[in-house]
This record gives sequence, C-alpha cells and structure tokens, in this order.
Amino acid sequence: MELDELNEHAISTAKGLNVDDAVALSARSADSMIRFANNSVSVVNRVEEAELSVYLAKDRRRAIASTSNLEPAAVRSFVRDLFASMKGLPASEYVPLPDRPAKYSPSRFGYDKKLEDVDERLPGMAKTAIESALKAGGKRSAGVINAGKSTVAILASNGTRGADSRTSITLNIRSFAEKEASGHGLSCSSSLAGFDPGEAGTKAGRGAKGMREASEPEAGKYQVLMSPTVASNLVETVAGAASAFAVDAGTSYLVDKLGKAVASSAFSLRDHGVTEGGLGGRVFDDEGIGTRSNKIIEDGVLRCYLHNLTTAKKWKTQSTGSAGFVTPHPWNLEVGRGDSTYEEMVREMKRGIVLTSNWYTRFNNYRTGEFSTVPRDGAYLVENGSVVKSLKGMRAGDDLQRLFSSVKLLSKQREWIQWWEVDTPTLCPWILTDGVAITRAYG
Amino acid sequence: MSSERAKDLAQSAISKARDAGATYAEARVQSTWEREFALKNGEPQPSFFAEGYGIGIRVISNGALGFAATNDMRAEAVNEIARKAVRLAQASSAVLRKPITMDSSKPAKEKWSPPEKVKIENADASWLRRVLVEVEGRVADGKAGVKLPGRLFYLMAGLEKRYYVNSDGARVEGRLPRVGFFGSLTAVEGGATAQRFIQQGETGGLEIVERVKLLEKVEEEARVMGRVLREARKPPTGTVDVVLSPELSGIAAHESVGHPQEADRVLGRDGAQAGESYLKADSLGRKIGSAEANVSDDPTLLHSNGFVPVDDEGVKAKKRHLIKDGVINEFLQNRTTAREFGLKSNGASRSVSFDREPIIRMSNTFVEPGDYSTEELLKEVKHGVFFKTFTEWNIDDKRLNQRYVALEAYLVEKGETKGMVKSPVLEITTPKLWGSVKARSKHMEFEAAICGKGDPQQGAPVWTGGPETLLAGIKLGAR
Repeated sequence: MELDELNEHAISTAKGLNVDDAVALSARSADSMIRFANNSVSVVNRVEEAELSVYLAKDRRRAIASTSNLEPAAVRSFVRDLFASMKGLPASEYVPLPDRPAKYSPSRFGYDKKLEDVDERLPGMAKTAIESALKAGGKRSAGVINAGKSTVAILASNGTRGADSRTSITLNIRSFAEKEASGHGLSCSSSLAGFDPGEAGTKAGRGAKGMREASEPEAGKYQVLMSPTVASNLVETVAGAASAFAVDAGTSYLVDKLGKAVASSAFSLRDHGVTEGGLGGRVFDDEGIGTRSNKIIEDGVLRCYLHNLTTAKKWKTQSTGSAGFVTPHPWNLEVGRGDSTYEEMVREMKRGIVLTSNWYTRFNNYRTGEFSTVPRDGAYLVENGSVVKSLKGMRAGDDLQRLFSSVKLLSKQREWIQWWEVDTPTLCPWILTDGVAITRAYG
Repeated sequence: MSSERAKDLAQSAISKARDAGATYAEARVQSTWEREFALKNGEPQPSFFAEGYGIGIRVISNGALGFAATNDMRAEAVNEIARKAVRLAQASSAVLRKPITMDSSKPAKEKWSPPEKVKIENADASWLRRVLVEVEGRVADGKAGVKLPGRLFYLMAGLEKRYYVNSDGARVEGRLPRVGFFGSLTAVEGGATAQRFIQQGETGGLEIVERVKLLEKVEEEARVMGRVLREARKPPTGTVDVVLSPELSGIAAHESVGHPQEADRVLGRDGAQAGESYLKADSLGRKIGSAEANVSDDPTLLHSNGFVPVDDEGVKAKKRHLIKDGVINEFLQNRTTAREFGLKSNGASRSVSFDREPIIRMSNTFVEPGDYSTEELLKEVKHGVFFKTFTEWNIDDKRLNQRYVALEAYLVEKGETKGMVKSPVLEITTPKLWGSVKARSKHMEFEAAICGKGDPQQGAPVWTGGPETLLAGIKLGAR
C-alpha cells in the first residue's frame, strides 16, 4: 500500500473516533550494507521496511503508537485499539495542532536517484577502500558501507500533508598496521557523486602507518586540535543539551543560559531541517510543522532551545520545527567555518595534541556537562607548531561549556560526518581548543 | 500473525534460499509488543505503544554471509527477500578472502519462556501510570530529603516472540516478556548538583516491579544523592585499597572481561565500530589476573535481564567461565567464530530484532562470589575507598584502559567505613585491575543495563553484577 493511503486509513479512522488531534507518519526505507574486516567481506545486509506511527490526542490525553502491520483492516483496528487504551491515561500538557493546514513538497536537497539501487555495487566500493588503505600503508582494514533511501509521508487531522525523501551513503573504515597502530577514514554523502571510498581508505591507511611508533603522553592540560570527526561527536551532545526536553528534565548544561555566552565568540552552531549536502532531516517535523534553520549558538551566545509544540508553549515561544512528539531533536547540524587551514592551526599550537577519532563519550553529570572521551586511531603530539610524535593510550576530559569557550580557531575546510559515534549528520570544521585534561590509566 | 503462518513463512524462506544457492540458511520471525509510559517532573508524557513483526533471513552462499529482512509478510515478498540475501552474498564473495562456515553444534529443538506470574499483556496504561506515580510520590517535593528539580522516569513492558528455524534442523520457539525501568534524577543543593541514572530490568511478568523493590530503590538513590551533596569530601589520592560494590564489579566484568572476550572482536570483525580486543586468538590460557579473579557470563539465570536459554543460531546456551582463577578460560562464541577456533559454539549469538543480524553478545556477566561476608571483606582494608555506585565510565576499544567515577563512595580506615568521598576516579588497565583482586564477598547483586554493539546498533538487555571485590594497592585519581 502507498504511504498516503496508509495515512488516510489512519486519519479517517481517528476522525471517526472524534479525537481532538491526530497525526499519521508513515515511512518506507530500504537500507543496504556491506561490512568487512581483515580485508575480507564479513556480511552483507539488506533491510526493507515500512512502518506507520500515529499520534492521538483526546481530552488532553496523548498517545503515540507504531505498527508494521499495514493491511488496511489492521491499521483501522490499530488506531481504534490505541484510542481505547488512552482511557487509562492521565490528562497532560496539551497543545493543539495549528488550525491552518500546511502542504509540503519534497525538498530539492538530499535525494539522489543514483543511490536507489547500489546493492550490488557495494562490494566494488569496499574493494576500492581496502586497496586504497593497503596502498597507503595499512596492513588490514575493517569497515562498513551503508547506503539507504527513505521516504516519510505525513497526514494530520488539521489537513496538513506532505512527503519527503532522503538518500545517503557512508563509509567508515579503520585500518591497522603493526602492533596497535590504527587510522580512521570516513566518507559521508547524500549523493553518489560525493562519495569517495578511495580517499577514505587512503586516509585510514596513512593514519595507521603514522601510528606505528606511538607512545603514551604525560598527563596534564593540553591544547587539543579536534578533527571534524571528534568535534562532531561533542557538538552532537551540545545540540542534545539544547533540546528543551533535556533542559526541562535537568539533563542539560544549558539550563538558564538563553542569551548568555556558552562558547567562544568564534563558535556558532545551527540546525537545519534540510540543507544542501545534509544526510538527514525533512521538510516537516513529526507534528507537521515546517522545519527550518535554527541558530542554536551564534558567536558563542545561546540563541534558542529546540522545541516542539508542547515545549514551546511551556517556554512561551514558537515551535522550532524540531518535533519529536516527546523530544525535540536536531536534524542536520552545522558548525560555522573559520578561516584557518589545518597547517596554520598546528602552527598555532605550543604544546598540544591532534585527535582524529574518538569513542565512548560519557558524562559524569549532564547538568554540569562534565564528560570524558577516549581518543583512538591517529593522535599526535605537537610542540612549538610541529608534529613531533604519535600518541596512544589516553583519555580526554572536560566540561562542554569550558571546552567550547576555549575554542580559538576553526578551519575553513568542513566535512559532513555521520558514523557509529555520530548519529546526527554534522557539517564540521577542525576546531582548536585549549586546557583539555589528558589522563592515562594506572598499571 | 498466527504462529502457524510464521512457521510456514520461515520454512518457505529457507527453501527459497537453498534453491537460490545457499549452502546454509536460517530464518527468524520475530514480533514485538511494547507499552511505555513516562513522567517528567511529574508531568505525563505521551504514552508509547508499539507492535511489529518481520522476518530476518541469513544465508551462506559462495562462502559469503548475507542477511536480509523485511516486514512485508506476504509470501512472495518473503521469498524474494530470501533470494536477495543469497544474491547479495554471492556478489560480495568477490571481496571474500576466507570462506565463512558454521560449526557442527547440535541443532536445538525447543520451546522456551521464563517464569511469568502476572502476564505481561496486563501492562495497560493504568498499570504503567500507577507504578510511576508511586515512584514520583516517593521523591517529589524533597520527600527523599533532597530537592530533585530534574526527574525523568520511564516504565516499559515488552514482549518478544520469536520462531527460529535453520537448514541444519534447529527449530526454536521463544516467548520473552520483560519489564524495564529507567530513571534520571538530578539533585541540586547549595549550588552543587548530583546526577544518577537508575536502570532496573528483568524477564518475567508484572511481578518484577515488586521483586526488584523499585519504589524503595529509587527513594534510597535519591536520599544518597542528598548525602553526596552535603557530606562528600575530597577523596584520598595515591595508592589505596579499593572495594568495588556489586554495581562496580559488574560494570568492570562487563567492560573489561565480557567485551574483550567476544570472539568476533578477538578476530577483528568489529574493528571499525566497537573495536578489537587486547586479547588474540591464542590468548586462551593466558594469565590475566590473580587467583581470585573469576568472571562468568550466564544466559540461563532465571528472571535475568539477559535470559536467553537458546541463542539466535539455534544453539542451547550455557554458562561461560570467562576468567577462571585468573586465567583466560573461554571466549563468547557463535557458530562461525567457534569454527575458526576449532571449538563448538557456547550459544552467545543474539539479535534484538527481526531486522538485525545475530551477533555475539553478553547475557549476564558477573564476578563470581567469594567466601567473605561484606563486613569481613571491609575489615581487610587498612586505608581505602569503597566505590558503591558510579556515574561516568568508559574504556578504550581494545578494552585495556578503563575509567569509573563514583557517585556514592566512602573512605575506609582500618576496616571501618568512614565519611563519603566525592567523585573518586578509578582509571586503570585491565591486567592491573584483575591482577589486584585480593578477595570477594559472597553477597551478590545484579544491575540491569543495555549493552550497545553492532552496526546498525543493537541495544541488548543484560545484567551486570557480582559481589564486593577488594582490589589491593590501587592508585586513585579525582575529578
């Protein structure tokens, strides 16, 4: 069944039950993946799915439900069952959908027909990445290529309707040389033309080769030059803290900071519903509000939280087009560019560390923003503007406000990042910070 | 969908895959049913209900592994996705250096489910709401002795049903009901804040809420947060003894024993995501800890969050002795890694959903109990710190360099527990940690957790646990 038809079945049933508001979001996706390890394919995946999500509101009682049983009779029964189950719910904060319906056409960004059927080309792409890594000095590589297309259609009881589609292709490759030396490469694109497995493989192989003589650093405070990969991981946590839900729940360091400086004046962060090159997002949010570009942090000052209709009412403001029925969230993040080159940033460092990848960022307290993260792959000690050796076996710790307040320089060059450690697609430059605590394990 | 139809579809998928050239094929029809309710600072959030099902098919063809899944359960769609799994596996064999094969584990023919006193299907909106309103009532408005301006509670009741069949003859039918709770508490006092995430989860019916003493647990956690804010002082640094509570013993067992002993990581299969392991294929038999270091993983524990008596490759699961008397004794194996090691699978293959391939997972990972009472164990400490609960933690991707920051922690002097200390940091290598184990208590507790692994991510319910574990002569840090 077509997505529009699914939505019609759901909304007509809901209207028949005399609900106050109803939204149907139906989605269809097809995702393909090839994984490899030790230069050999380990598995190929193909997942084809469709799902219907329904939001109902009646007498200030609200419920959301999803189903994958998409036969018309099953959809009608599903909506009736959801409605019946709401009787046991308490009344809660309720904001009606807007009276005026909106009509949405698909975005001109983010869909490439050439990515619709690439399944059988993935092995060739994996081979290109592996061979590039080998040529650049990596001995063995592990990685994954994900390619997908998805369409989401909306129909609401206020008449709002529309549909939008996305494609994306990403490669995450890690290459290993002698001992524990490893390097990392990514290629992330919404179009086939923007995807370069050879370049990512080369980067991973070169990174591994450069890490063969790595040693552990002295513990202490360092300047840290974060690659777009590392910076995106932390920027995503900043955007998460800007969700009004996190602010209300006490899990944000941005409580009471609207209009105040939360970062260096060199740092700006935006979120876009759709944007050129963006791998995620759509033109409408889950409540049928049009998505837009939101300035979260402008020249270091916190300008807005991300809102849906409910959180916006509480904060006496407008929705930012960021729903989630429950939790407002970002779609495509963009960190403002600087005017430095990578080489210029390294030359600015007196005693610092270049980090190219990280994982396992965990918070001691989301309210204070205190965290630590574990660097991996290429890491290099810089003294007086020159890389002097490669480093391993360390941990970086800070709090988000202090870290982003210490931003000194950002690069002109930016990359789209989305991988295992970064869910929200993020366009990010290299970022030079100062005063980051580096520690080592005992034993 | 009726179970008979699910069985027919699974069998048909296997036949079609074999006809298309698969030397091995398996199919898993899996359905999920979920009810969830949340309170944020006492305010009800929209309730969430989910129902779904689909089929996942895994094949080996030309020596390559293919997995495909769909929730379009029309017979022609299922048969086509089975053929597609074979086609893609065959195409990928151009990049295959070593053919993938399965071991000769005995195919299970079982029907299983955990004990369930009050059927999970009774978890309607009223029940979920009532439980959370009671939780809220214990801690709101400073009732637990501390202001908690940030309170977020989720209660979830879920049911997974799965039917698994493979071309080697396995036929497994499972019913897995569970209840899970997540709470986030943020306490503020005197300008300082403390934060605690609480997770509880077991398999079984609605009786779980009482069995885990959920209300008392949340209230006690809140009271402790107030004490941390008022009483905690600077921790000792330098070399001290450290006592790990069951919660800390459990997270250390999970992170620095369970994960590095997943055979797929050891063989490099997860290298680009969760990483590899400091252990190699020839590390079995290597001494890594003191004679007191004993860590196991057991998917057969009744009520446990990681209860999986038969795995998702149709192999009957069993307890795994990961570290025995300080020696690396066993890895977690599935049928393909076991074949590479020349062993038999120990039933560690799990998938969290029909649309995810089964991969090697922990279940319930824990430090084995010792002979000491908790009091006797503390008497062994001259100068040390008792880590009771933790907040921040992480570990490197080889599982060699880990960090745990305590929330509730106490100074211990001459065997006596003294005042609270603030945010002591245990940042230590894996051999040092397990090599320092001097004694273990016989008091066991388990915590629920969601373990992340796989690409796409698969959050698997697990337990972590153990007794109080005494580490001798450890260098501590502070935040």
